[in-house]
Amino acid sequence: MSFMSVISILFTAVISQNIVLSRTLGICPYLGVSKKISSATGMGCAVLFVLAISSIFCWGIYNLVLVPLDITYLNTMAFILVIASLVQLIEIVIKKVSPTLHSALGVYLPLITTNCAILGGVNTTVISNSVSFLETFITCVGTGLGFLLAIVILACVRVKADNVPAPKAFKGFPLTLISAGIIALAFAGFAGVLA
Amino acid sequence: MGNVINIFMAVGVMVALAIIFAFVLILCGYLFVVKKDKKIEEVERLLAGSNCGGCGKAGCAQFAESLVKGESVVTDCNPTSVANKKKIAELLGGGEVGEETVAVVFCNGGDAAINKYSYQGYGDCIACDSVSGGIKACPTGCIGKKSCVNVCPHDALIMNDEGYAHVLKDKCTSCGVCIETCPKIIIGRIPKKAPVYIACSLHCKGKEVKDLCTHGCIACNICVRNCPNQAITMDNDLPVIDYTKCSGCMVCVQKCPTKCIKVHE
Repeated sequence: MSFMSVISILFTAVISQNIVLSRTLGICPYLGVSKKISSATGMGCAVLFVLAISSIFCWGIYNLVLVPLDITYLNTMAFILVIASLVQLIEIVIKKVSPTLHSALGVYLPLITTNCAILGGVNTTVISNSVSFLETFITCVGTGLGFLLAIVILACVRVKADNVPAPKAFKGFPLTLISAGIIALAFAGFAGVLA
Repeated sequence: MGNVINIFMAVGVMVALAIIFAFVLILCGYLFVVKKDKKIEEVERLLAGSNCGGCGKAGCAQFAESLVKGESVVTDCNPTSVANKKKIAELLGGGEVGEETVAVVFCNGGDAAINKYSYQGYGDCIACDSVSGGIKACPTGCIGKKSCVNVCPHDALIMNDEGYAHVLKDKCTSCGVCIETCPKIIIGRIPKKAPVYIACSLHCKGKEVKDLCTHGCIACNICVRNCPNQAITMDNDLPVIDYTKCSGCMVCVQKCPTKCIKVHE
């Protein structure tokens, strides 16, 4: 795999096919945890972390269990199972191995056990045929980075928007939704670049 | 027949996967068990649990941990009730408990305090304070732009009709978040049972005060002279109430010419 194809995969996953802004997945944490920049970064990192690790396991389960037994239609169920147990497992392990990492990501990990960004990100990448393991992994890392980018941008905008003298009807959540929409529009400009 | 095999295959694979994952999780649960100090859990259960952050720790769990380690003292936490603090002190082997306090705004200026300029920017007191110390001519006047109201985790602060912040005694847990937020440093703590408080923080005399605010303390000494219990003393042109002597007779409230001694309610 050449360097250029890695760049192209990453660019597609992070920017032009951004999981939140272009594929509209993972909206719940995107709007729910984006009030502060620090918590948005924490959530984004947790999604990136889980997405990267679960892509490895889901790829394995799909190609070594589901494909040989010809039951690929079970992919969504199997992935939910894998991701949910994996998140639990990761939480148990990092609680023991790295308390610092646990205190940073701990609050967010249970939130993303059945997160649609993770499931959608893994699902669409793994089940598309003719994708090698490395490509799957890079795409999932890119998807996670895309989520991190999107949620941090929205958090920055929200912090600013809190202080704007907006009309009463727009204060708070409506303004957040409008900001999210405008950010998505800006990202739509990347569609077709490097495709 | 093929369909039936397919169905069983699907069910079997899912069940097998679920069982394998369950065993892995159980195994890891035993392998990576984290020994948690039972004392920390007990202390945490006794704390108020509002996670307000007033003690400077991230939450009650972290505060409990530092209590047990001896890095913090129980008095750092105000929302916890005195009864529970006593229990915590027993668990940890002694230590001061303190009395129940609430936050209070030492200002009743608001609209009665003169504005030195017209502020047209956005934002709260902190933003306003960065422009030549806020709009109020009084250096210790409540700016009235709701920094404390916004930051209070218990909704205990309101902006009243007269344009200054007011603490609702029943809701306040004395967590101290507003005290740290107020750019004018005019929010402080008084005992919850305190009957009255001085609603002014300006250390100035008569005319100087009158030029800034009609509700300010002019250091006239009337309260000091009239207090039947000698509970009030004048310190640097501002009265100080000794709550151990105060009987709540309200004489000072009635006598104060600028009405800056207020009933604590």
